[in-house]
Amino acid sequence: MEAAPNTEALDQQFKEFIQALKSAVGSAMPHLKDDPKVVEKAITDCRDILDVVLEGNVKEWLA
Amino acid sequence: MFTDKVDLKDFEKQDPEYQDLLRRVLAIQADCEIGGPNLYVKDMLPNAPTRLDQLIVARTAAEEMDHYRKIARLAGDIGVDVSYVLSRANQDRYVEAFRGEIKTWEDYAVFGFLIDRVGRFQLEEFIGCSYLPLARVVDDPDMIREEEGHIDFGVNATAEWAAKGGESKERIQKAVNYWYVKGLDMFGKSKSYRSDRYMYWRLKRRPNAVARQQYKDECDALLKKMGLEIPDPNKDRLYT
Repeated sequence: MEAAPNTEALDQQFKEFIQALKSAVGSAMPHLKDDPKVVEKAITDCRDILDVVLEGNVKEWLA
Repeated sequence: MFTDKVDLKDFEKQDPEYQDLLRRVLAIQADCEIGGPNLYVKDMLPNAPTRLDQLIVARTAAEEMDHYRKIARLAGDIGVDVSYVLSRANQDRYVEAFRGEIKTWEDYAVFGFLIDRVGRFQLEEFIGCSYLPLARVVDDPDMIREEEGHIDFGVNATAEWAAKGGESKERIQKAVNYWYVKGLDMFGKSKSYRSDRYMYWRLKRRPNAVARQQYKDECDALLKKMGLEIPDPNKDRLYT
């Protein structure tokens, strides 16, 4: 069975997106009460990552 | 009834109907997994009521993306590129519930309560299924556990709104009325030849009508507990 083109590359790219998102969320959670700047930065990072993902420009990601 | 267990290396040897149904169900599942974040991230990430809620929106989106990734991998391995669902407009999604936008926090809460619950039902269909790579993905406790986390968040948030009474309760009831019928419709037609064939090939476990009734029983019990009205299950339905 031949896999669809980009199967491995798309999988890897998504792993990176997901890891980056979880890392941003994880870095902010312990600081909700004591460091608003850290939390704000994490939320901004999440927005930036999710903007790219939801745009869905796969060709650009995998170029 | 089909009793074989099929691994990737044997996929091409299977009956064409089996291959078609598996390709189809994986494409729809991938579309649904990424369909959620496309509904709520744009408005809910910046506008969730608290910083904690914003982080929960981001984490939920990350988990749904991971579910998409796992299903996309399975589809890719059998030659189906489902990357097209990443860039399609919401109104083009396979399932009607994913064709709009979520712009209020009460809709986000009820979406978790009712629509992510359908997601859990759909994943449960694949437990012990004949296609081993798919069965393995849902056997991994992460996927269903994460879905349950989204549901619990939605149930708790919905219950909190209902408990406030007054305008808050009216608003959450309105959201429940909207999503309840969409949830019921997500199970498809009760009399469905395709559903029978999925069961024959053991790619699904339950007839649509049975899964829908089990889902409805769960939802109705929770709505009753929250003091919310159970919407008319036949109003504005697309599939019965």
